Amino acid sequence: MNLSLVEPEYLAKDLPEALQDCLKSGFSTCIRFNHRGDFLASGRGDGNVIIFDCDTNGIARKLSGHFAHVQSLCWSADDRYLLTASQDWSVVLWDLSTGERMRRVRFEAPIFLAELHPTNHLLFVCAQFDEQPMLVDVQEPEAVKRVLPTIPKRSEDEIANATEKQAAQDAKQNTTATIFSPTGDFIFSCTNKGWFNIIDTATCQTLSSTKITSSMITLMRLTANGKSMVINSGDRIIRTFELPDMTAPDFNFDNFQLEVRQKYQDVINKLSWHWVCWNPSGEHILASTMMHHNIYCWAEHLEGSLVKILEAPDEITSFDFHPYKPRVAAIGQDDGQIYLWGVPAPQSWAALAPDFVEVEENVEHAEREDEFDIQPAEELQRRRLDLEDEEIDVLTMDPVKDSQFQPGAFVMPVSMDVISDVEDEVVAIGAGQFRRKTPGQDWLTVETEPALSGDESKKASNGTRSAGNGGTKRKQRTD
Amino acid sequence: MSGSRQLSASQSPRRAISRSPSRLSFQHSPSPLPASHEPFAAANDETPVQLDYKPQFTLRGHKKAVSDVKISPDGARIASCSADGTIKIWNAQTGQHEHTFEGHLAGVSVIAWSPDSRWIASGADDKVIRLWDVTMGKPHPYPFLGHSNYISSLAFSPKGNILASGSHDEAVFLWDVRAARRIRSLPAHSDPVGGVDFTHDGTLIVSCSSDGLIRIWDTSTGQCLRTIIHEDHAPVMSVKFSPNGKYVLAWTLDSSIRLWNYVEHPGRCVKTYQGHTNKKFGITGTFGTYSRYEAMYQTENDKYTEKPSALMVSGSEDGSLWIWDVGNKKILQTIENAHDGVVFAADAHHKARQVVSGGADGLVKVWKHNIQTADRRQVFPKDDLDDEHQARMQDPTDDGSRMELDDAVVVKREDLQ
Repeated sequence: MNLSLVEPEYLAKDLPEALQDCLKSGFSTCIRFNHRGDFLASGRGDGNVIIFDCDTNGIARKLSGHFAHVQSLCWSADDRYLLTASQDWSVVLWDLSTGERMRRVRFEAPIFLAELHPTNHLLFVCAQFDEQPMLVDVQEPEAVKRVLPTIPKRSEDEIANATEKQAAQDAKQNTTATIFSPTGDFIFSCTNKGWFNIIDTATCQTLSSTKITSSMITLMRLTANGKSMVINSGDRIIRTFELPDMTAPDFNFDNFQLEVRQKYQDVINKLSWHWVCWNPSGEHILASTMMHHNIYCWAEHLEGSLVKILEAPDEITSFDFHPYKPRVAAIGQDDGQIYLWGVPAPQSWAALAPDFVEVEENVEHAEREDEFDIQPAEELQRRRLDLEDEEIDVLTMDPVKDSQFQPGAFVMPVSMDVISDVEDEVVAIGAGQFRRKTPGQDWLTVETEPALSGDESKKASNGTRSAGNGGTKRKQRTD
Repeated sequence: MSGSRQLSASQSPRRAISRSPSRLSFQHSPSPLPASHEPFAAANDETPVQLDYKPQFTLRGHKKAVSDVKISPDGARIASCSADGTIKIWNAQTGQHEHTFEGHLAGVSVIAWSPDSRWIASGADDKVIRLWDVTMGKPHPYPFLGHSNYISSLAFSPKGNILASGSHDEAVFLWDVRAARRIRSLPAHSDPVGGVDFTHDGTLIVSCSSDGLIRIWDTSTGQCLRTIIHEDHAPVMSVKFSPNGKYVLAWTLDSSIRLWNYVEHPGRCVKTYQGHTNKKFGITGTFGTYSRYEAMYQTENDKYTEKPSALMVSGSEDGSLWIWDVGNKKILQTIENAHDGVVFAADAHHKARQVVSGGADGLVKVWKHNIQTADRRQVFPKDDLDDEHQARMQDPTDDGSRMELDDAVVVKREDLQ
């Protein structure tokens, strides 16, 4: 509704420009915007999941169910369900209409990443630490788990000539990330040896494999339209790929080889990249750097030229781009705060009075013939009323865009139980040292809470500098 | 007494009804019976259309003037607030009194329903905004503190997460409803703010003030996007977005209600509605819908095909209630002597076909559209009526005598404190 009134130059911007706000609630470890862009989910080091309302920057929901580091978040297509994966070896599906846990699935290992099927919110894939990836159906309360292959698909010749060494190497492969293709018909997975596999969702068979790099792939992200993919890997190179339409009837997986479209790397400093992300249009790639407080923005459509560097107050471990606005939410490594970048709205001076017009240079005023004529009030009033014969329609709604608030779509109920967030606040008392703002009763409960992989959550809640994040941890373990 | 409605303790003498002769004659013309049986005869703009809202309930209980009255979005309840500092909740179907909320230290000037019909926000002359849980009958524990003068207007965003408030301290505040925390202050006006409203998608806010300005704001950035001023600079006391959000309707103290096209720059007045009296008090009203067929006699074979037309209802300082057609500015109905004294507020709910009004006499009145007449049965699609009316439509022995019954139902429930 506001778009017709806003300056077109403001709307044309597709990258954020300035740090605008900061959200604090515990130590955030992963964040994700929902599809409509009105909520931001944040998984915390202590296992709680906070849902921020992007309209108010306030807390809309607090989901308590995990008791260790939350690793990944995924919203269902209608934004009603949220899938969270944690280092407590479980994945939880939340129903946000009630804020209750709908399903809880336990695994044999910490979960790297869990992602929902694009259309079916009761089906998800997950990649685990030192275990095989799984396709999990939670239609029934008792989850049905299917193991997905990790070993790359080889041609007949390769199988015939396979050496023992190669077989041993294949057996050591571990899947580090799994995501669904845009239609959900296929699963894309990648391994710690740099292989990219396409797996059929229905049969769980590997259809195609491509060796992309020799080091571990840590992250795969698709654009909103599903036509491009970006992969971050341990060799400090970000690669982008164009994905063909795999659902086309004449598409042949046997001949398919994924080809790199663009490579991004810092040749001089050899920076490693924490996290990568597309902007909504898929024209820009953003990546946060390890050991530096920057987010780099490259233009994919301009042959990968660097267009902007966003400076952060902290090292950014993870971030997410808003689904349709030039807005980025990012997590700082030191204290787990969420920083928000956006485009500052310019004040249009013409908006402040109806007869204001913005002009480039001074204009000589030409007086109209009747400009200062005195008209009788009744005459003026009558004339005005006579002009009001235009047909108007105050009822018909304009069709709304997907991204906007639609009447009838799922709306998360506004919960009025004000969440006391005092327990989460930490204050800096020196370089790298923090303490709780108000140590109280909950101080004890956190200390004595039994936690499976508790060092992470304890560190976070004690306020000392947390050792790491999902990305670095994953590397330490698998390398 | 509620200061923001500028109501003095001594009643001002009722204003003489002054309307143009043409409107008078129009208003008193007998219900026309078009001779033709063509289905679209009613759609002709030349045919005078009249609505027939009849008194359904009189809700008694407030000890002082009723400053605002609103039907809940689901149509189940009616909320009213008064200069006596209370908010009362009534059942819209039966007229039963359900709750009385007390807690404000001064007269309550304005109330707003949350979109889920569960909460009510109230703003009062004690500078405090409070929330009340209507289903549980309990107050919200945290008041919204921050305004430094009387609260004059409130509006919930369509998602229910933001509350906008306008005050005599000349500012518009946006509140995070969940945390009772102020998220933004709009440097809105240079005189008391009279009204605020959200568009149906929540992206825009409109505010108006006694300084004669109407301003449109971007909810997410807090930027002023448009300013509308009428040449006469009459104080603007209340403002509403049209149901589709493309126009704003503004009540001004020159006895006019104007519909503005704000998308154009500069904003342009497209319609002016006149007839009522409004020179001193902040009077509010709202949009509603009706079908032109409602007022017409139809043959058996006619089908309900026409899109609903927009109506607009407003109170008046002479105690009457006015309903206009939004498109052609014609008066659809005038209810004379609706209240004894100023009619401060009116609200409409098209699903229930009810109009409610609150006046200086401390009464809330519910008006129901008269659709019992046999000849008018065909005018509604069946799914648009509640069960009771469907039953009546199917009952061949029903001769419309129940309307008198409805008339007789007058709830005389004294205030139980």
